[in-house]
Amino acid sequence: MTDGPLIVQSDKTILLEVDHEQSTEARHAIAAFAELERAPEHVHTYRVTPLGLWNARAAGIDAERVLDTLLTYSRYPVPHALLVDIEETMSRYGRLRLEKDPQHGLVMRTDDYPVLEEVLRAKKIEPLLGPRIDGETVVVHSSQRGQLKQALLKIGWPADDRAGYVDGTPHPIALEQKGWSLRPYQQLAAENFWAGGSGVVVLPCGAGKTLVGAAAMAQSSTTTLILVTNTVAARQWKDELLKRTSLTEEEIGEYSGSVKEVRPVTIATYQVLTVKRGGLYPHLELVDKNDWGLIVYDEVHLLPAPIFRMTADLQARRRLGLTATLVREDGREGEVFSLIGPKRYDAPWKDIEAQGYIAPADCVEVRVDLPRDERMAYAMAEDADKYRLCASSETKTAVVEQIVRRHAGEQLLVIGQYIDQLDEIGERIDAPVIKGSTSVKERQRLFDAFRSGEISRLVVSKVANFSIDLPEASVAVQVSGSFGSRQEEAQRLGRLLRPKADGRSARFYALVARDTLDQEFAAKRQRFLAEQGYAYRIVDAGDLAG
Amino acid sequence: MSSIRALAEELTARGNDSLRRLFIARPDLMMPGVPDFAALAARACARVSLQRALETLSKPQLEVLEALVLTTDEDEGRSGSAVELRHAVGNATLGTLDAILAELSQLALIYRADPPDSIHSASGSRRRYYQPVARVREVLGSYPAGLGRCYTELTSASQFFAERAASIVNAIPAAVQQQPVEHHIAAAYALERWAGLPEALDGAPDRTREVLAKFTNWPVGAVPHAEGRVRPGRRTDNPVDWLLSHGFLVPLDDEHVELPRPVGLALRGGRIVPELSLDPPPAPRATTSTALRRNAALGAIGELLRLVSALAVEAAERPIETLRAGGVGTRELRRLTSVLRCEADQTVLSLELAAAAGIITLDVDTSTWRATSAEPWLGMARPDQWLLLATAWLDSTRLPSLAMSPEGGGQLAPLAGEGQRPDAASVRRRILEVAADLGAEANSPEGRASVVTADDIRRRLEWAQPRLARRLRGLLEGVLTEAAMIGFTGSGAVTRAGAAVLRGDFEGLRSLLDEILPQSVDRILLQADLTAVAPGYLEPGLSRRLSLLADAEGRGPATIYRFSAASLRRALDAGEDAGSIMAFLKEHAETDVPQPLAYLVEDTAARYGRIRVGRAGSFIVSDDEASIAGLLREPSAAQLGLTQIAPTVVVSNASPQEAATVLRELGLAPAVDTSLDPAVRLQRLRGPAAPGLLVPTPQPVIPHPDDVEAQLGILRNQSAVGGNGEEAAPMLGIETLQKAIRLKRAVRLNIVDALGNSTVEELRPVSISAGRVRVFDPERETERVLSVHRIIDVELA
Repeated sequence: MTDGPLIVQSDKTILLEVDHEQSTEARHAIAAFAELERAPEHVHTYRVTPLGLWNARAAGIDAERVLDTLLTYSRYPVPHALLVDIEETMSRYGRLRLEKDPQHGLVMRTDDYPVLEEVLRAKKIEPLLGPRIDGETVVVHSSQRGQLKQALLKIGWPADDRAGYVDGTPHPIALEQKGWSLRPYQQLAAENFWAGGSGVVVLPCGAGKTLVGAAAMAQSSTTTLILVTNTVAARQWKDELLKRTSLTEEEIGEYSGSVKEVRPVTIATYQVLTVKRGGLYPHLELVDKNDWGLIVYDEVHLLPAPIFRMTADLQARRRLGLTATLVREDGREGEVFSLIGPKRYDAPWKDIEAQGYIAPADCVEVRVDLPRDERMAYAMAEDADKYRLCASSETKTAVVEQIVRRHAGEQLLVIGQYIDQLDEIGERIDAPVIKGSTSVKERQRLFDAFRSGEISRLVVSKVANFSIDLPEASVAVQVSGSFGSRQEEAQRLGRLLRPKADGRSARFYALVARDTLDQEFAAKRQRFLAEQGYAYRIVDAGDLAG
Repeated sequence: MSSIRALAEELTARGNDSLRRLFIARPDLMMPGVPDFAALAARACARVSLQRALETLSKPQLEVLEALVLTTDEDEGRSGSAVELRHAVGNATLGTLDAILAELSQLALIYRADPPDSIHSASGSRRRYYQPVARVREVLGSYPAGLGRCYTELTSASQFFAERAASIVNAIPAAVQQQPVEHHIAAAYALERWAGLPEALDGAPDRTREVLAKFTNWPVGAVPHAEGRVRPGRRTDNPVDWLLSHGFLVPLDDEHVELPRPVGLALRGGRIVPELSLDPPPAPRATTSTALRRNAALGAIGELLRLVSALAVEAAERPIETLRAGGVGTRELRRLTSVLRCEADQTVLSLELAAAAGIITLDVDTSTWRATSAEPWLGMARPDQWLLLATAWLDSTRLPSLAMSPEGGGQLAPLAGEGQRPDAASVRRRILEVAADLGAEANSPEGRASVVTADDIRRRLEWAQPRLARRLRGLLEGVLTEAAMIGFTGSGAVTRAGAAVLRGDFEGLRSLLDEILPQSVDRILLQADLTAVAPGYLEPGLSRRLSLLADAEGRGPATIYRFSAASLRRALDAGEDAGSIMAFLKEHAETDVPQPLAYLVEDTAARYGRIRVGRAGSFIVSDDEASIAGLLREPSAAQLGLTQIAPTVVVSNASPQEAATVLRELGLAPAVDTSLDPAVRLQRLRGPAAPGLLVPTPQPVIPHPDDVEAQLGILRNQSAVGGNGEEAAPMLGIETLQKAIRLKRAVRLNIVDALGNSTVEELRPVSISAGRVRVFDPERETERVLSVHRIIDVELA
């Protein structure tokens, strides 16, 4: 048996031993068809899924190569059933092709007659198709291109869409690489996307996804619609585009709750597009009525369902999805695959980290002992109050002060859920507090001041942090609550904490009350962060002082 | 002469080598030892033995034997040779036929006979003439070579046809030479000898050939209202009606028809065997890479050993429950499947193999399967473990696949009695041998191994052993599934390890497995997400300790152990402490213990035991601390086994009554608190069963050479044909009776009645079956039934 770095399990996971000398090669080889699930320090877990395999097929990798990769790098025999399954699954992609026929328009073709027969008999697919031309070809209503792809994926015969795209209105866009240049992986991602036509680029947080979008826009040089999660993100995109491309202020429009500008490059929020009035989406015509040459989806893993429905009708336009992860909490990875497109580029985090572009934060969990009276209050409290009691313990405030002293002179954020607690901390460490009641203008002002270094400490409530992005900081202290889902938490953590100029990684403190619910939540966070590859330590509050 | 006597003479005349070959080909002839040649001949003619012998014949051998059976007649002294057979068998030379006849003769299925009366010339006597031994006809069945019966037999089989035979024949003028026939026998003869039959078939209505094509391999078919459709002399365009009206199909009853032999022969161009299938079906051409085959087999072997070990450990800790009707129920199976972390089918196979290899045994008292003792199994070297399982499977008379998911066969409960198939062992071996042969024949290029599919094996078996193939067909898929799961085959090809077991080359296998099975690992990787990864097969002791500390996850060669406060508490309950856990982790971890894990261990250990639970027979409470202290100092109180757990509380091992008695003797006045009487129910503890020795035991399939020699010695000492002939006598008697039945002749029977008196009677046997003879008594003009074992002598009258 070879002494490879991989162990292939029969539950369709692949374990990669990171310290093995061949691990880098093996990681590159398997990244093409398996999704990284967990990345703790020694053994990374990848999962082989049908979507992953089809992504690989779309990238031109055949089953034989996948099998060969597994057999070459595997330390132990690979479960035979898995190999058979991989071969079988991969052979399903592309048996059906969507093509443009000069005579009939959009058609679905196959070389495998029985597959077409099977598909034609599926109840959900029949209404999407037009008349049958011959044994291997059937007309597809062009309006149903997206629905058809979705339905085909559901029954396990993903179609290879080769029907091409409309050109869209030309509009000159160029990258202005003055004093900066595209990183090699960004260049490659943009090229891969363009060659594939449509699809998703997966890059870790902080790796510069916006620039991949800008590069794709420059290549397309057409009017472009950019869909982003929220207004702050829209402003960031705009700033970045102004800085990095030939686009001017007049050419970029914002389409959000407050402003409705339609310009050659328009940045719209998911929220405004999904506003529903009287059963209709009043802002959908932004998408329909304009001849966009490219549509960019930021944070694909957060795309809401109505955007999917809308995207189904946009199959003739080039679509670029940008994300840090293909894993969706709602399990709608299949829709991303069939509607936006297959994965076109995926840079393993470790690689980009190795190149020095990103650095994961250093996480420290601080265990705080509740004083006796608080413990008694906690023990006797109703279930509904328990979390509040332990999370907003007074002892935490003292620990925050210690941390502030320790990191004097660094940009420091305190994040929490309970306003009383945050107000008290703000007072004690002499920092402004941003909460739900703070006006947008005031928030913007404080964030700007924080970014420019005018103020070095900021206290932010969880409510505030949902609607806008947090600015960068080198130290963050979480006193209570969590950032929504685990996925989001890790992502935001990545965005919040950038490596400092001197190469030291940023630090994230979580204050946890011992022996309480707080600790249970923390255990989940610990597992997830450790799985994401963050360094994680636990210390006692007492040891922190020393 | 009786065929048994003729065969006995022939066997006596054979050389020792020939006899040795016979015993090896038909081991049942010498098991148990046979006293003399007459007995040997009788055994060779016995129904069961013949059945087994016929199962070993290849398709060409069987075809020649069937042709010989159809062309010879023992009663008429019509024997056959290659010359006669050449007319009946297509595509065969005299040399081929002679060779096959010699093989059949060697197997004692046919014996040398005198040439037929018509050939007495010197030229004819140089050829070898043969007759099939008695009962071969019977064992071959009613339709040898797939041909129907002849018209004379059909007239006696079907009353309906007998009544209409004459009118059918008379309606076909060409079939009758001179004048119309009247009797059905005459009609049958006329049809049988009708030379113009093939031409008559040519004049049949359209689509008749298609109808007849359905009778190519089997002469009986279903035709609704068959009898009503026989209308001799009427014109009809319906092929079936036409065939029935011309007597080319004979109705057996209102639903079934039979194609008479002359018609069948005419369809085959006058030959019994149109074309002798000399060549076996070609070996498969599909191939797989040897790397893939090796990977599949090793994967299966590794997984199987993991599962059986896990099962042994589990069964030792928690016996496996059975259903009232026997077998392991669905719920228990599901539980085991989750414990073993595998598919349900794998659990089924592991259970069956563990039982077959004696790793788990059924405890009849509790109706549970218990580990005989996990130790001998876990202590074995891995090659030996696999060897044990592989040989146990090979010789098992159970078919585990019957309990696997529906496509595997059925839905029996694993380990249920219904999973038994008495011939499973021989069938399994045969299937694997064929698979191995096919793989070897395919002669694949370097780096490739041929893929042998179930269809390939089926086709080959149908050629190599057509009579057995029918039996094998039903079990084929199941056996192949099992073989792949055990590692006998990989990616459709027999593996080197599998082939070595089949050959019985255990030593070679051990070294082969030693070389290819991955070494077990004794290091683990600890990570900050509170997991330990065992990157391979972990040593059993280590894995057991680790399973106590953490929960195992994942399926496959590697195991992930996840630590949690709950899992660590379990270890603390089992007597571990923070120090021992940390020491264990440090000793076996390849890297440092991650800080969060160390923190978890220490934190959990520190919190452990804030509430303590212990066992006590009774408690003694007093408000007066001094009297408690006094009691502890009292020497005669020592017998109570006192432990102070608080200044005012002492617990004792003794029961409250005992404690009260002792305390009263000490001059104290205890009040017994009956409401809190501790009742400790002791579980009946069962010691481990005596460790059984697990040894792979191959079953003998061919007789040992020494046994064969011993047998030959016995036979040669008893050279007189017929010797005392005790064993052969009943067979000879039955043969005589059967001959009498065929020839409708009377026999003189020496019969013993219930009181032991013997009488000699002259009777006409009518039929014989299941140890009983129906006889017609001409004197009394009645029929009687006699038991065969009451007949001590038979003689043709």
